Amino acid sequence: MTDDSTYTRDADGAEVSDGDGVDRRGFLQCMAWAGTGLVWTAAGGVLSSRALGQASAEEAALGFSFVQISDTHIGFKGEANKDVLGTFEQAITRIKALDPAPSFIVHTGDITHTQKAGAFDTVTEALKGTKAERVFYIPGENDVFADGGKEYLGRFGGPAGTGWQSFDYKGVHFIGLINVLNFKAGGLGSLGQPQLDWLKKDVERLTSSTPLVVFAHVPLWAVYPKWGWVTDDGEQALSYLKRFGSVTVLNGHIHQIMQKVEGNISFYTALSTAFPQPAPGVGEGPGPVKVAAEQLRSVLGLREVNYVQGKSRLAIVDSTLA
Amino acid sequence: MNGNNRSIRVRWLWRLAVLGAATFGGLAVATWAPAGQSDNGAAAGQMAQPVTVAAQAGPRIEITKHKFSRPTLTVPAGTTVTWLNRDEDLHTVVSTTLAFKSAGLETDEAYSYKFAKPGVYEYFCTLHPLMTGKVIVK
Repeated sequence: MTDDSTYTRDADGAEVSDGDGVDRRGFLQCMAWAGTGLVWTAAGGVLSSRALGQASAEEAALGFSFVQISDTHIGFKGEANKDVLGTFEQAITRIKALDPAPSFIVHTGDITHTQKAGAFDTVTEALKGTKAERVFYIPGENDVFADGGKEYLGRFGGPAGTGWQSFDYKGVHFIGLINVLNFKAGGLGSLGQPQLDWLKKDVERLTSSTPLVVFAHVPLWAVYPKWGWVTDDGEQALSYLKRFGSVTVLNGHIHQIMQKVEGNISFYTALSTAFPQPAPGVGEGPGPVKVAAEQLRSVLGLREVNYVQGKSRLAIVDSTLA
Repeated sequence: MNGNNRSIRVRWLWRLAVLGAATFGGLAVATWAPAGQSDNGAAAGQMAQPVTVAAQAGPRIEITKHKFSRPTLTVPAGTTVTWLNRDEDLHTVVSTTLAFKSAGLETDEAYSYKFAKPGVYEYFCTLHPLMTGKVIVK
């Protein structure tokens, strides 16, 4: 199986369904895995390697880039990484070195580990040192569990105070969703009806040719429901996006790179800057994985996303801290 | 299901016995002892029965690999139950009715709650809601 077929076809080699039903057949098998230290680019379905920060002249002239960082877990003190601040700062250094500088940065959640006082400040202060015009913060469950989201929403909830938000930038419509509030016993990540209603209305006015980029912490697609790596009403949200020609969904939560394509929707999960987690179903359960000290930075990382105007395509570049 | 529960119960009795032995061996189990119950035990002269002594310390539920070691636990009213996080991950113990709510428990941190009244108390981890358990108080 070539990289290209992994990217655009399902496990049986058939084209991934772009019909109305979500094709769950063999979804695990069709995820492409990015191995340790691999840097890759996905542009228009073609994978090619390139280095972080090396935008082409065309991209620099016509497009823009942004950075996704995720799962910084400031406050984590476990064996899997005794210096989460150090690895986070290393990611910041990488962002500062990007040329051209990213237009903005999106943090896809688990900003803090324990929501202890000062943890949010540590992250916001460090990211102020980058040249990005703005930083968007999506919450993970570790950012809201202690107070039901009060502090997060107070800081980042926006004028409406709901936290979910959208904005337009150079022709691309960006949407930040929250799927970690109000967890119910035995339940999964969920968006909830008010947010679904908002999303439906938010995209109604857009033409189908508008490129969409959607952020959320917990994957909107069923990565591994047994471990809670899914959003229970994610498919409802995606149903509003299916008419669009280019939809890119960027998630965190699982601390590893996975990707999947369904019709015009491309899904990507990101590396953490703090610690890795096991591959779906491997071992007894999710949680921090301790690797050899010299390997740690090769399983942590960040993502640069480049958009080329007029081409409706996003080039995704994952890089590790190694 | 019954068989499974029974095996858990048997293992728990073993653990109680070990705990009792540990107590007499001078090992520290003080962190499990609920306040206000030691007088009663001492006055009743039950110190020679390891299981009873350990029971005074209260049952313990361990959290490992995103699982509660005893997802269903039955105790008499007045029992203090302790949850101990043995996981690398952060967890909470929160009643579905908010009758009790722990802070975030990091590795080796514990949370105790005294169940005064009979009832069925369902709880879960608010960070990982698939982690659920219940305490049946008789």
